[in-house]
Amino acid sequence: MRTDSQSRNRQRNRWLFPLVFAAAIIAVLVIFNIISGGLFLEWSNLKVIISHLIYPCFIAWGFCFLFACGYTDMSIGGVVVLGSFATCALGNAIGVPGVVIGGLAVGLILIFINFLIFTYTKIPSWIAGISLAMIYEAVAVFLKLGRSTKPLVTASLASEYRVLGQLPWSIVLLAVGLVVIYFLYNRSTIGLNIRALGGNRDVAEKLGINVNRTLLAVGLITGLLIGIACFLQQSYAGQTTVKTGLTSINMIFQPLAIYLLAQIIQKRINIIICVPICAFILYAVFNILTVLGVPSGTLQEAFLGFFIVIFGVIGQRRAKGVVK
Amino acid sequence: MNRNGRKKFRTSDIVPFAAFIILFVFFTIASGGRMVSAYSLKMLLEQSILTIVCACGVLFVVAQGSIDLSVGVNVALSGVVGMHVATATGMGWLVIPCCIVIGLLIGLLNGFLVSKCHVPSFTLSIAMLIGLRGIVNYIQTIIGIEYVPQSMFFMTSSAFRIITFIVIAVVIGFVFEFTRVGRYSQAIGENETTARFVGIPVSRMKILVFAISGLMAGLGAIFSMATVGGTTMTMGSFLEMKVAMAIFFGGVLVTGGSSARFYKVILGSLSITVIVYGLSLIGMSDSQISESVEGGLLLIILFITILTNRRNSSWKKEAASADDAAGSAG
Amino acid sequence: MSGNILEIRGLNKHFGPTHANRNISFSVKKGEVHGLIGENGSGKSTLLSQIAGLYPRDSGEMLVDGEPYDPSSPIDANEHGISMVMQELGVVGNLPAGVNVFLGRTKQFSRFGIINLRKMRKEAEAQFEKWDLDAPPLGDMPDGMMIESRKMIELARALSVDPKLLLLDEVTQSLSLNNREKLYALIRRFREMGRSVIVITHDIEEMVEITDSITVLRDGEVIGTVRSADTTPDEIRMMMVGREMSGHYYRSDTAPKYGERVVLDVDGICVPGELEDISFQVHEGEILGFCGLSDSGIHSVGTAVYGLTKASAGSVRLAGDGTGIASPTEALKSNVGYVPKDRDNEALMIHASIRDNFCLPSLTEIRGPVGFLSPSKLKSLSSDMVERLSVKCTGIGQPMDALSGGNKQKVNLGRWLAKDLKLLILDCPTRGVDVGVKAYIYQLMNEAKEKGIAMILISDELTEVLGMADRLMVMKDGRITKTILRGNDFTEQAVIGVMI
Repeated sequence: MRTDSQSRNRQRNRWLFPLVFAAAIIAVLVIFNIISGGLFLEWSNLKVIISHLIYPCFIAWGFCFLFACGYTDMSIGGVVVLGSFATCALGNAIGVPGVVIGGLAVGLILIFINFLIFTYTKIPSWIAGISLAMIYEAVAVFLKLGRSTKPLVTASLASEYRVLGQLPWSIVLLAVGLVVIYFLYNRSTIGLNIRALGGNRDVAEKLGINVNRTLLAVGLITGLLIGIACFLQQSYAGQTTVKTGLTSINMIFQPLAIYLLAQIIQKRINIIICVPICAFILYAVFNILTVLGVPSGTLQEAFLGFFIVIFGVIGQRRAKGVVK
Repeated sequence: MNRNGRKKFRTSDIVPFAAFIILFVFFTIASGGRMVSAYSLKMLLEQSILTIVCACGVLFVVAQGSIDLSVGVNVALSGVVGMHVATATGMGWLVIPCCIVIGLLIGLLNGFLVSKCHVPSFTLSIAMLIGLRGIVNYIQTIIGIEYVPQSMFFMTSSAFRIITFIVIAVVIGFVFEFTRVGRYSQAIGENETTARFVGIPVSRMKILVFAISGLMAGLGAIFSMATVGGTTMTMGSFLEMKVAMAIFFGGVLVTGGSSARFYKVILGSLSITVIVYGLSLIGMSDSQISESVEGGLLLIILFITILTNRRNSSWKKEAASADDAAGSAG
Repeated sequence: MSGNILEIRGLNKHFGPTHANRNISFSVKKGEVHGLIGENGSGKSTLLSQIAGLYPRDSGEMLVDGEPYDPSSPIDANEHGISMVMQELGVVGNLPAGVNVFLGRTKQFSRFGIINLRKMRKEAEAQFEKWDLDAPPLGDMPDGMMIESRKMIELARALSVDPKLLLLDEVTQSLSLNNREKLYALIRRFREMGRSVIVITHDIEEMVEITDSITVLRDGEVIGTVRSADTTPDEIRMMMVGREMSGHYYRSDTAPKYGERVVLDVDGICVPGELEDISFQVHEGEILGFCGLSDSGIHSVGTAVYGLTKASAGSVRLAGDGTGIASPTEALKSNVGYVPKDRDNEALMIHASIRDNFCLPSLTEIRGPVGFLSPSKLKSLSSDMVERLSVKCTGIGQPMDALSGGNKQKVNLGRWLAKDLKLLILDCPTRGVDVGVKAYIYQLMNEAKEKGIAMILISDELTEVLGMADRLMVMKDGRITKTILRGNDFTEQAVIGVMI
């Protein structure tokens, strides 16, 4: 049995890292502010960063559950596009409730279909996801050609319907999401089961966890999260462009980077809490790059790719066994 | 099965052939016979060249059980930089060695990260996809598109392209099917532990195959520019997906191993080209339709290939996992 | 009959071609501590796993408390009052220890869907206290803990279902002396409470001391059940290992015979946790045997010599040119071969063809100009081998997984023997192989011996090593405890005493 002093030591260590981490972040933010000549920490700028990071946060949370199953779903971008369409259609028709229902319904159904395919066809999830992305993109194009899309922004009722995408409502949603998902991931049976499954599948099965049922339940959870991301994205941006040629995959790169970064830090801070923090860090970095004049869409993408590689390398340092 | 060891034709090997024949026949009928005209057949070949060249390189990677989705951006970067060096220095011939060297370097970087840093090849490819595309876009905002210089115009002739392609395909096919590089890669895909235990230099092989993939992408850049007459703003985009689809359409398993064969690359690439070209012949050239068709067909082929492959029969799986328990503990 | 907590009649279990449990029948009384013992591969863990609900049996009956018992899962077994501590890893490393104790049964702690982690941890602590066991820090992840602590967590988990029958598979060997005493006390308490325990352990003295009766398994069958009070460790050993030794099965000579030249020189090899200060030499045409229990380090000798595991100290050199072996790639170049114990996962590519498997180690030699590997050469090489070794198959293109264990092993060995080897390391070469092929493999070894190939033979099967080796190294706890020359001392009794 650990002695009391050892326990006390560990208790202290448990708070040490988060404090140091927070201090480091604050230091970096201050540096950013100095570099940008005071522009960075202006409230209007911070508002931009925060509103920008909310819907990728939900996707990154979805990744937490997704990767816990060992699945890599490349079709999420395509799903978000379709979900945004549903948000548009239902939202224009019946207002804010329509916004929520549209996004959630589509997100839920499509992600659940994905999970069914991943679980039962045994096709490796990354390639199955790519195929599904192609199909979803094509469906989106088909729907668009059928009727002209009215981006919400043109309709005069738009600002009311888009309320969820603006502060303060989006922050409220983020906070609520954080609390709910935290409990789901850390304090519910399904959360524990999925983490056990992701940690060591064989042992989890031997301990009596029903694999398929757990995977499908996680499908539902992920579907809801992506569904929320759908209507948030549409509410925030006001319009969605159809993606083809697998460019929908671009939409998940940023949440992916957030997730990978959170994964590294998760040993010390619970991953669900890590996600919004890492999202903030990432978007702060892009923000400062923009302020410094680094062109977005080109070199910023290069940075993003570079980050993913670095996060991936660091994250894999502890990995044993065969890695393909 | 006869005693001299001829492989029985597995269902999973036949499906891609069947798929190709069905597709070809379908489009021949649907296009009123235009599919089989000399012009069409030539177009089919030409449009497959880029895919086949790059897919040959990625085949080695897939044989090992990994994946390289960076070939598209590799082609773009090698092409853009190579062409720029050639036009800037005025020495047109430089474009060829430059493209090759840059493609190779990117490949080596990939290989190093996968082999020594243990980054999963999929994550790495995606990262490269984003990162390098960003760099290419940036460079192109500065230098724009460039054209094949006069001195290298012979590159754009159909004859040159087809002949060079055949030579390259034969060489790379030989290396895959008849040298240790191919065999060792298949072994690594079948069972990396066994490969290591038999003395195969696994780390070195991993770096090597990514280098080959990069090299082929460099060559691909040359073909791409030769076809179009220069660089474009969307060079190599979607190419990696086409390559991956070509390989899996041909019946190669995602885990590679002995299911990775050279002829499958040719078969798969031709199938993809038939779909795209065929759809344009019948007036449905919307890239969206071809995309959904490809996506759907890919899922179906993957599913059937996995289903019919003996490796996945359930009793074997149960026996295999139970065998560990029985064998190690008793 | 009504006094039995568990009764098993005619139980059989197959894994593909392997018949792991043959017609097993035995029973455990209430309030009894029952031991199960046997060599590696005798079927003990398989049997226990079926009782614990890990996988279904093929045939036979199980009765718990007189009622038919057919568990569909470990949790189902728990509900019948049976729980098990497994031999291999049984904790999920990324969830706290306290959660591991109740994983899969967390409903009792949840209200409105939210699990009270604090309550769960308190309950886990209570379990440890109830049985007087040392609890590791329950908020920590098992990933960072020692094996002993992880085992304690698994034990608490098994106890938390309040079992009538507790199954312990090789638990004691991961525990320190202190915790072992606590475990014994726990077992005694169980007995007093009228509950039962089935114990598997390698330590025969321990077994005789803590159990009421012992069932001995050999080759998947029950050899017999004895009362612990009436038997001795030696008697148990004889039952475990005693086998008819047919003379011409192995070698017919009774004296060591090998060349003068030293082929391999191993000096002071240390592998932390596995080997300590191992030194020996192997001569031309010699069969050097290694025997010991599974944790004695005999298998590590193989991997260390072949360059698969890095030694922290010492050297492995091929005498002659003095080249060291730092990796399997170098070993291959120096004409050293290795036949691993785990045939299907480490030695063969089971989904690939016979031809692909067979030619793999020889590709470098078969190369023609420009590295060309001629398909006809590959074909003739494989076909020749298939004929020479009488491998039962439908052709060299047939995938390995369709072959029987014996034929797989023929291919496995054959591909090494086709090379011009200096040294061949064999780890359990006749595991899972029928008698006819066994004899044939020994014949191959004799032939190799004649050719002057040096061999290291590592085996769990004592009779095999005694039958084939010129010299025998007995190992225990990572060290060589005894070296015996072929001759009069080559008896099981002499060796077992030092081994166990």
